[in-house]
Amino acid sequence: MRRVGGFAAVLVLAGVLIAVWWTGRPAPTVGAQAVRALQSASPPTPASAPFGAPAVPTVAATVPTPQPVTAPRTLTLPSLGVTAAVEPTGVDERGEFAVPPSVDVVGWYRLGPGLDEPTGSVVLGGHVDSATDGPGAFRRLAELEPGDEALVTGQDGGERRYRVVAREQRPKQDLDLAPYFARDGAPRLTLFTCGGDFDSGARSYSDNVIVTAVPV
Amino acid sequence: MKTAIPRVLAAAALVLGTTVGAAPFASAAEVSMVSVVHGIPGQPVDVYVNGAKTLDKFEPSTVAGPLELAAGTYDVALTKPGEPVGSAILRNQALSVPGGKNLSLAAHLDAAAKPALTAFVNDTAAVAAGQARLIVRHAAAAPAVDVRAGGKPVFTGLTNPKEAKADLPAGAVEADVVLAGTSTVVLGPQSVNLKAGSATIVYAIGSAEGKTLGLASQVVDGLGGAPTGMPAGTGGAADTSAPWPLLSGFALLLVAATAALRRRSARPAGDVAR
Repeated sequence: MRRVGGFAAVLVLAGVLIAVWWTGRPAPTVGAQAVRALQSASPPTPASAPFGAPAVPTVAATVPTPQPVTAPRTLTLPSLGVTAAVEPTGVDERGEFAVPPSVDVVGWYRLGPGLDEPTGSVVLGGHVDSATDGPGAFRRLAELEPGDEALVTGQDGGERRYRVVAREQRPKQDLDLAPYFARDGAPRLTLFTCGGDFDSGARSYSDNVIVTAVPV
Repeated sequence: MKTAIPRVLAAAALVLGTTVGAAPFASAAEVSMVSVVHGIPGQPVDVYVNGAKTLDKFEPSTVAGPLELAAGTYDVALTKPGEPVGSAILRNQALSVPGGKNLSLAAHLDAAAKPALTAFVNDTAAVAAGQARLIVRHAAAAPAVDVRAGGKPVFTGLTNPKEAKADLPAGAVEADVVLAGTSTVVLGPQSVNLKAGSATIVYAIGSAEGKTLGLASQVVDGLGGAPTGMPAGTGGAADTSAPWPLLSGFALLLVAATAALRRRSARPAGDVAR
């Protein structure tokens, strides 16, 4: 009797512990409002004419020519002890972000802003894991907290410091990636990976984990 | 560009309020965004819309706006700077502006080198992920041309005032303009940067005979082009769904243990001591 009762007590305790662990995990999303504010931020407005009607804006009709872009080369997340190589990438044949094949390499969206640009989102996307190669560079991305640092070294060798302001976990279904890839809004660094529930049939996660950081 | 919008709205409101007061109020769907492109070399102009000066000393090879104009018919006049509307060098008293479009109103030379006003409707339909739209417009006093990218003709037999367009992978293209069907380069080569999610509109302007041929350009943003997804995991080790197998295992054990406990406590004490 005592033995069985003790066993039951241990089981109950274990169940309670699991429940406490499950409910006590950090909230998947923090700082979402900060992200919205960054996305809709406008650059400082030039002082308008003090008198009279505002003039219609006029710009030179010059043909846009390719401008030098500073590509990121490495990303370091000190709080996670992660350093990863960064390679330029674009979209795949389905129009999705082409995450580099190696789980250790993080992709930089070369069709968006590079480093040091006055507006827009520098996007880095990396694997949380892969079926064949195990844990990826962004395996623990969801553990980043607001205030953590992200260091990005550019192709010029210079290091840029960013401070995490938000971590979001959003269902992929209905997720509009456009604001996260925008060339406008405040300058920011956006780190992407997968998370949430795993569908082992489709070998795909339900959510994206999105960390937003701002230049320090 | 974004910051300019309130000012443009204010300017448009001023223009409309002071001069088109009689125009019916238009809903957002009936309003068009209208850019004005100056493609007549060597002649700065004042631009009047419905009799009100809207652009002052508008220089060649510049783009103004976009103005927000309600659908309707407008009187648009271009004068030499400071001259009255009555002596306009170019005027269209019944310029039709459709509703809900993005338009470019180009002042340019026609094929016979006479000033002309042409309203182009800009294709702002969404582009696919990673793509950009290139729109080329023949607005020069010049014969039919081909436009080549990387040496290969992509648009052929383009005549004034026609346009041709294509969606291309975003990035740089090396373009030039040749006389149609020949390899006689009349413009370029020119590197053009096509930004993902934008339409780059390039105008051939000026006059071949006057040796003033050139290119003018405007970019319309906001056409989408962002990736459609971020597939960044196939392993499953980061699964955060509730550990149901674990939890249900515990629940089963718990039920079994409870049942066993009940059975035992239901028996006489002697049995337990057996």
